[in-house]
Amino acid sequence: MDVAEIIAHHILDHDWGVTLDGLRLPITTHSVTLMAISVVLLLGLSWIARLGPSRAGRLLTTLMEEYVSFIRDGIVLPNMGKEGKSFLPYFCTLFLFVLCSALAGLIPNMKTATANISVTAALALCSGGLILYCGLKFHGPIGFLKGFIPSGTPGWLVPLIFPLEVVSMIIKVCVLAIRLFANMLSGHMVLICLLLIIFVVGQMHIAAGAGALLPAMGLELFMTCLELLVAFLQAYVFTLLTSIFAGSVIHTH
Amino acid sequence: MALGPFTKQDHLEITTLGMEFAVSEILGAGAGYWLDQRWGTSPWMLLAGAGAGFALGLYQVIRGAGQMSRKKTNLRKVEKEDGRR
Repeated sequence: MDVAEIIAHHILDHDWGVTLDGLRLPITTHSVTLMAISVVLLLGLSWIARLGPSRAGRLLTTLMEEYVSFIRDGIVLPNMGKEGKSFLPYFCTLFLFVLCSALAGLIPNMKTATANISVTAALALCSGGLILYCGLKFHGPIGFLKGFIPSGTPGWLVPLIFPLEVVSMIIKVCVLAIRLFANMLSGHMVLICLLLIIFVVGQMHIAAGAGALLPAMGLELFMTCLELLVAFLQAYVFTLLTSIFAGSVIHTH
Repeated sequence: MALGPFTKQDHLEITTLGMEFAVSEILGAGAGYWLDQRWGTSPWMLLAGAGAGFALGLYQVIRGAGQMSRKKTNLRKVEKEDGRR
């Protein structure tokens, strides 16, 4: 049994795309998962929005209102102020999308798309774009660039501090992508490794494998619950950090 | 347990500092390695990049800690003023 191959198969993306007229269409497990999540969210949310005043309709509408209130009052307003209100739809979408991507990995035969650095990098790029847009919208190009220089910096230090601050902002966006990717990837690696313990120990001796079954399954169950928590936590952290960075660009001093 | 007069947002920002330090170092070293491959100057650009990344990471940590410290001082001032009223 090649443990490394099994782990790689469980974690990595699988490309079963097609080539049409020399043009490669890379249909991968992660891209299909992402599209499925997008379609489910689009259809599901528009269905909830159109629900009438039935009991289920009232319940789901209240749930969504609570969700939007949580994003607005818990994330956007404290960090971005009233200026952030116009970006509320982005944060609501971001939270749900990251959450559903992480939760999709817990469904059999589906994969966590956010355990792919390309997906998290694309999400971080969107957040970076939002931060840039906020800076340009509220301060203009010159004001935005001036915001990179901390107040009280001596003039001779500006040529040194300015590039450092610009690179710092780029690194902050990179960290957003890496944090989500690393958390999702490591969680799934731990899950598969715990399962593999049973087979690795079982190869040494069948009785030892049987003995490892219960503890490994117990740990597996615990880690799955932890993954569920991590899914919510990482969606919250990603959204919160985006709002903090966007807020720091809006309220520079 | 309250960890000083900070909000959970502040705690999150503090936890980001470590990762920012690591990413700065890796990006600096990566850029240096790339330049080494391009210009054939191995290992000087890698060393310079790693040094620059380390300096940038340190700058971010110091700045972040300074911001937190100022925030703490401001919060204490506000608390004192509230206490007088």
